[in-house]
Parts: sequence; structure tokens; C-alpha cells
Amino acid sequence: MNLNLEQSLNQLKVLIVVGIMILVGQRIGYGIPVATAIPGMLMIIAIAMLSLIIKDLFPRVKFPAFAWASLTALILSMPFIPTSEWFLHYTNEVNFLGTTTPILAFAGISVGNKIQKLKELSWKVFIVAIAVFIGTFFGSAIISHIVLKLQGII
Amino acid sequence: MDKKVSRKDKPLKTRGRIAVFLKLYLTVFIIIAITEKIGIKSFSLGPGKVVLLPMLFAVVIGILITPDLLGKVFAFLKNLIASEEIELAGSMVMLALLPLGVKYGAIVGPNIVQIIKAGPALLLQELGNLGTVIIALPLALLLGMGREAVGATASICREPTLGIIGEKYGISSPEGTGVLGTYLIGTVFGTIFFGLLGTLSANTGLHPYALAMASGMGSGSMMTAASGSLAEIVPGMRDTVLAYAATSNMLTGVTGLYSVVFLGLPLVNFLYDKLSPIIGRGKEVENGELRGNSHES
Repeated sequence: MNLNLEQSLNQLKVLIVVGIMILVGQRIGYGIPVATAIPGMLMIIAIAMLSLIIKDLFPRVKFPAFAWASLTALILSMPFIPTSEWFLHYTNEVNFLGTTTPILAFAGISVGNKIQKLKELSWKVFIVAIAVFIGTFFGSAIISHIVLKLQGII
Repeated sequence: MDKKVSRKDKPLKTRGRIAVFLKLYLTVFIIIAITEKIGIKSFSLGPGKVVLLPMLFAVVIGILITPDLLGKVFAFLKNLIASEEIELAGSMVMLALLPLGVKYGAIVGPNIVQIIKAGPALLLQELGNLGTVIIALPLALLLGMGREAVGATASICREPTLGIIGEKYGISSPEGTGVLGTYLIGTVFGTIFFGLLGTLSANTGLHPYALAMASGMGSGSMMTAASGSLAEIVPGMRDTVLAYAATSNMLTGVTGLYSVVFLGLPLVNFLYDKLSPIIGRGKEVENGELRGNSHES
């Protein structure tokens, strides 16, 4: 319920490192100068911290920090909200794809100890899981396609 | 053992673990530098185009360098990435996702009017997640799975489903094994699979907006892989594609848990009862016993 300061501080340190990784990564991949992207990155880190703090303060609300972060940025960037222009001006310097690489590098490493477990389950699970993915994806896509068509959006 | 538990409680504790942090950071830094240097690669495949994003290379390299794979061959990798670093990487994913969450919000915000207009489609497509039961359950039964099939196909099996099935049946029950199986496959191969599916699906004739909504399935990294690749295929619709995907993912985050409890699980159990006598392989008895056992433990 109450905020754990030590934990928040550790989270902040991690976010700063991740921020640096993104800045360097997008410099290499998309040629965005590190300096111009720093203000946007600071705003992003601030919102990320805010969402972690919200999550700590309301543990009963089952809304992940990721969703709080999106929601906060969404509100700040809506066209009729006064903050939207400067907020977008700075955060646009942080490349969308650039933020994805660190996540997946960590994610890849983190599943390293699950390979053995997967080998124990049989190959059948693999086939079923792929069917699950395809069913979920195309089930949603087909319904969206029909409804969007009915609405005349596509 | 005790040490392990306390570490789980405070996964980010730095005291005495500076080396673990440094090794992990250094490794990820190198992965990022390499993958960003490679950049976006695209090639034609049949009538369509496949886009490989740096994030896909990153996840593949990340998996490859772990002790069970290349670590077995190269001793220095084993020293760099061991169980402690792997465990820490797990806690890092949630934090590393946050900047992306902010970026998604900043894509949804400016498009909010457009998204509200597409509200009905966004809400109704959530029902499409049930497509997983209809397609995957019969297949699981045909492959000879018993009650494992129920856990494996009740949903796309992200954390909320893992929690629900674990609570209802016990994680060591057949249903628990099933849900864990799909969860693990999704964790290891999900982003790679959806990254490819995101680009290949653009050739199906389904509109990119519909595919974008389908990309939001409750996992931040899967959604990113699917919608990120899709957006590269249709650059003209990039922002709308990303905005629909993010909104759909947010909605699934809110509704996902309830849709598994009230729709997915009842549907998969209903279909299991109907279909298993026809296409199942008489595994009910055996698994029934197993289930009884795990309930007691």
C-alpha cells in the first residue's frame, strides 16, 4: 500500500539506464542526435516513474504500470489538452522502434532458463500454441474488419 | 534457497549485486548496438513483404546467448549470462516496457477522435479472442491432449490467464500444465511469431486497421512486434495502425481477465465436453485421476 522509497529509487536507476540505451540505440539505428532527444526522454522517464508510483499506491487496482504510462501520455497528448503540443514536440524525438529493442533484448535473455522446461513439454504444445496465436489474431481481425466495414471506416 | 526467495521479493536490490547488473546492462547494450546497426531488413516473400525489425533480432540474440544454448558452447557467455542475470532480466522487461507505454499513449492521444469513432469495432473485436478456443481446442484434442487442452486454449495465456487457471485448477494440474505450455511458447516465440505474422497478414486481404486491432492481445511485447512490423508494411497508415493496436491492447488489459473468466473458460469447457468423446483419445479417465490428485495438494 505505502510507497517503498528504496524500490522506487532502484526503479528510477533502471529507467535511466534504459533511457540511455534507447538514446544510444536510436542514434545508431535512426541517426537521431542524443542531445535533441534528452528532454523527451526525461518526460518519458518521469511518466514511467509516475505510473510505477500509481501502481504501488493502488495495488488493488489490477491495471499494469504499462497501461498507466500509456494512459498518462494519452491524456497529455490529446488535441484539446493544452500540454499536447509541447509534449509531442519533445517526445517525438524519441523513436518508437528505438524504445522496443531494449525490451526484447531483456525479454530474450529472461526466457533463457525456460528452454529446458519447454523441451519437457512435448512438441504438441508448440503446435497448439501456434494455433492459439493464429486463432486469437485472426478471430479479432475478422470481427474488426466486418465492424469497421459496417461503420464505413474502411 | 532462502537467498533466492528474498531476491525474488526485491528483484532490483543492488546491494552486493553490482556485477550482475553491470554484466546484464553491458550485454543488452551490445545487443542493442548490434541490432540497431543491422537496422530494418525487408524482403519479398511470394506476393508480400516481410519486415524484420531490430527488436526481432534482439530477442533472438537474447535467447541464443543463454546458458542452455550458445552458453553451452562458449564458456565466456556462461560467465556473462548466468541464472542471476536471467532472473534480473525478467524484472527488467516490465520496466523497459514503460517508455514504450508512454510512446503508445502519445500515439493514441492525437488520434483520440478517430479511435472513439472506431469504438464499436475495438470493443467487439475483443470477442474475436474466442477464436482461439474454436480453432485450437479441436486441434489439441486431435493431437491427443486431455484436460491440458482446456488450459492451453482457454485464451492466449498471458499472465491473467495463468493466474486464473492456476487458482481454479492448480498450476500442477493438467489444465495448469496446458496453460503453462502456451504461456511459455508465447514468451519464447511469441514476439518472433507475431512479428512475422504482422507482416504476412497484410497479404490476407484483411484491412491493416483490422489487423492493427487484432495485434492488441494483452501482451505488450507481442502487440509491439505485430503492430510495429505491420506499420512498416503500410507506412501511410503508420500512426493509425499503432494507435488502434495500443488502444486494443489497453482494452484487453482491462477486459481480458473477465473475458477469460466469463467467456473463454466456460466456452472451452463446454466444447471440451462436447468434442472430447468424438475426437479425444479416451484420455479423460487418466487425466481425471491426475486432476483429483493435484486438487488435494
